[in-house]
Amino acid sequence: MFDIASLDLAPFMLSFKLAGITTLILFVLSLPLAWYLSQTHSKAKPILEAVTALPIVLPPSVLGFYILVVLSPNSAVGGFFEDLLGVKLVFSFTGLVVASCFYSLPFMVQPLQSGFESLNKHMLEASYLAGKSKLQTVFKVALPNIKPSLITALIITFAHTVGEFGVVLMVGGSIPGETKVASVAIYEMVEVMEYGTAHIYSAIMVLMSFLVLLAVYVFNHQQKKIGILR
Amino acid sequence: MKKLLFTLLLSLATLNAGEIKIAVAANVSYAIEPLKKAFNEQHPDTKIEMILGSSGKLTAQIKNGAPYELFLSANMKYPQALYDQGAAVTEPVVYAQGSLAYLSVKEQNLSKGMALLMENNISKIAIANPKTAPYGVAAQEALTNAELYDVLKEKFVYGESISQTVTYATTAADIGFIAKSSLFSPQMAQFKKGINWSEVDESLYTPIDQGMVILKKGEDNAEVKAFYDFMLSDKAREILKTFGYKVE
Amino acid sequence: MIDIEIQKALHGSQGDMRLDVKLQIEKGEFVVLLGQSGSGKTTLLRVLAGLERAAGNITVENVIWLQNQKMLPPQQREIGFVFQDYALFDNMSVEENLLYVNEDRALTKRLLKLTELTQLSSRNVKGLSGGQKQRVSLCRAMMKKPKLLLMDEPLSALDQAMRIKLKDEILKLHKTFGTTTIMVSHDSAVSYQLADRILVLDHGKVIADGSPDEIFTKASTVTYSLNI
Repeated sequence: MFDIASLDLAPFMLSFKLAGITTLILFVLSLPLAWYLSQTHSKAKPILEAVTALPIVLPPSVLGFYILVVLSPNSAVGGFFEDLLGVKLVFSFTGLVVASCFYSLPFMVQPLQSGFESLNKHMLEASYLAGKSKLQTVFKVALPNIKPSLITALIITFAHTVGEFGVVLMVGGSIPGETKVASVAIYEMVEVMEYGTAHIYSAIMVLMSFLVLLAVYVFNHQQKKIGILR
Repeated sequence: MKKLLFTLLLSLATLNAGEIKIAVAANVSYAIEPLKKAFNEQHPDTKIEMILGSSGKLTAQIKNGAPYELFLSANMKYPQALYDQGAAVTEPVVYAQGSLAYLSVKEQNLSKGMALLMENNISKIAIANPKTAPYGVAAQEALTNAELYDVLKEKFVYGESISQTVTYATTAADIGFIAKSSLFSPQMAQFKKGINWSEVDESLYTPIDQGMVILKKGEDNAEVKAFYDFMLSDKAREILKTFGYKVE
Repeated sequence: MIDIEIQKALHGSQGDMRLDVKLQIEKGEFVVLLGQSGSGKTTLLRVLAGLERAAGNITVENVIWLQNQKMLPPQQREIGFVFQDYALFDNMSVEENLLYVNEDRALTKRLLKLTELTQLSSRNVKGLSGGQKQRVSLCRAMMKKPKLLLMDEPLSALDQAMRIKLKDEILKLHKTFGTTTIMVSHDSAVSYQLADRILVLDHGKVIADGSPDEIFTKASTVTYSLNI
């Protein structure tokens, strides 16, 4: 067959590294947004929600194309980052992180927002009446009480980023060891008809994704049981 | 008698006028519209459906049963492999010879030739993936012969096809190795020879002979044969020349 | 001394109306608010807690809680609030719920003892019965050593036996700490037993204000006509 020992695992490391960093950054960025959306009565709420949800419906190639154009060193934004801060936003791992944050944003925001919205409003008010600020309330009362939503948000964001393809293909430049993530590597294997390697890579991806999703569902099931048991 | 048969066949062909599917290598995508138009002047009832992609990808698809009837590749190797396998029913013939060029959106001092790539302000060089795109192979060959390939390897970004490489070259890369034919499409008119682009020294790479084959699915299809013949005709060659190809 | 003078537009089950209340409450008084659903009782409580906006003035022991549009946030009001649905912190134990408000362990022990919850102090609140939860809610409200204790129908979700027990505990706490209290209720018997003073709200306005005797026996036309 083929030599498994010689299998290049770099694309997987890259995929998981990208997903991990993106998940962390998105958590920090999404928490205030999700909280705000859950608490606000502003008329702008539907607009904000629609914008946040855009990456779900936008074809990844469209997203990738615009990121390529807007963040290119020849553009205002990309040029600023490259000339003044020395940060390359396309054809680099950093660029992939930025692109992934756009691509996976709704997968972090929506479960968190949903979770916050399902909280008992009175419980939050009790926290304010206890003298706690909104920030303290979010970390000491709100977040601990939406554990299933929190776990779902983290894991789904991670998994979604691992599966990212169209955007990465557009913006990454397929550089081995830097932007050639597993999904792109598999695509290339298929293109050059190295089906053996493609099968192995794909099997690993399917297995990992399945395990991740299984973990989410088992955890949620357990949480529900704890809630029911008195 | 032959004339009668031929007329009959021709009328049959126009009676059954339908759609033909042509797999077209990315670098030909720029010339294909004018070629289509010219063909349709003689055969107005034939609808041509084009599938664009890198030659490697298209070859893989054909091997796996893709319903294409004619294949315009960017090299000879892929169509030859298809013929040897029986997926193509004619031996590959050269319909054009392509050339490599490098393009930058910004003004460059192109008289330096390949040495330009070593400069500090060139940090990202776009080339087509040599595994799937013949123009990528040519670029790799040229760079190797200029003894620059290993040195510049870190600067490369790989386009999945030569057309994605053009996208990279015109957006975020500092310079890119592209098919010269792409420079003759209307959208590229803004780029001036000697300022933005230049031909890569031909002595550095094997001429890119582009091969055409009729595929199994297109066997015995008169319209497919008509397009095949058209591609080798003077009219087609004239058009190809305007796109920077070399034709015998 | 608590000075209340507030106005707020209400959109409730009884239609649109205006909450318009002007009254004074003495320190240590136990006031019960009666009235039909939608008459503005809960809103009044929430405005006092700073959980909702209103126009007007509220001054509590010389501290301004509301003046025209300027509102002191609920975090800074010394209030204890007992919600109808308990609103305990589900991720914490009984003791942690109390300590969250105030880290005075001696006070938690004292309150838990008074409400006979000591055995349950390290249990997570999710596993408690309704009556137990309400008692925790009561203790938690008292941890603030509040100037004003507000209770929104604290007994309505409990069965009769629990109601009596909790009523006794409320009385015990009031006797021990002397906190000024405003309690919304539907239960006449409990109200009669707990209140120093009864206010009847109808369509946002106070239509009766007196001692339990005055309201329940003499001014019976008021209560009778409102079916309280």
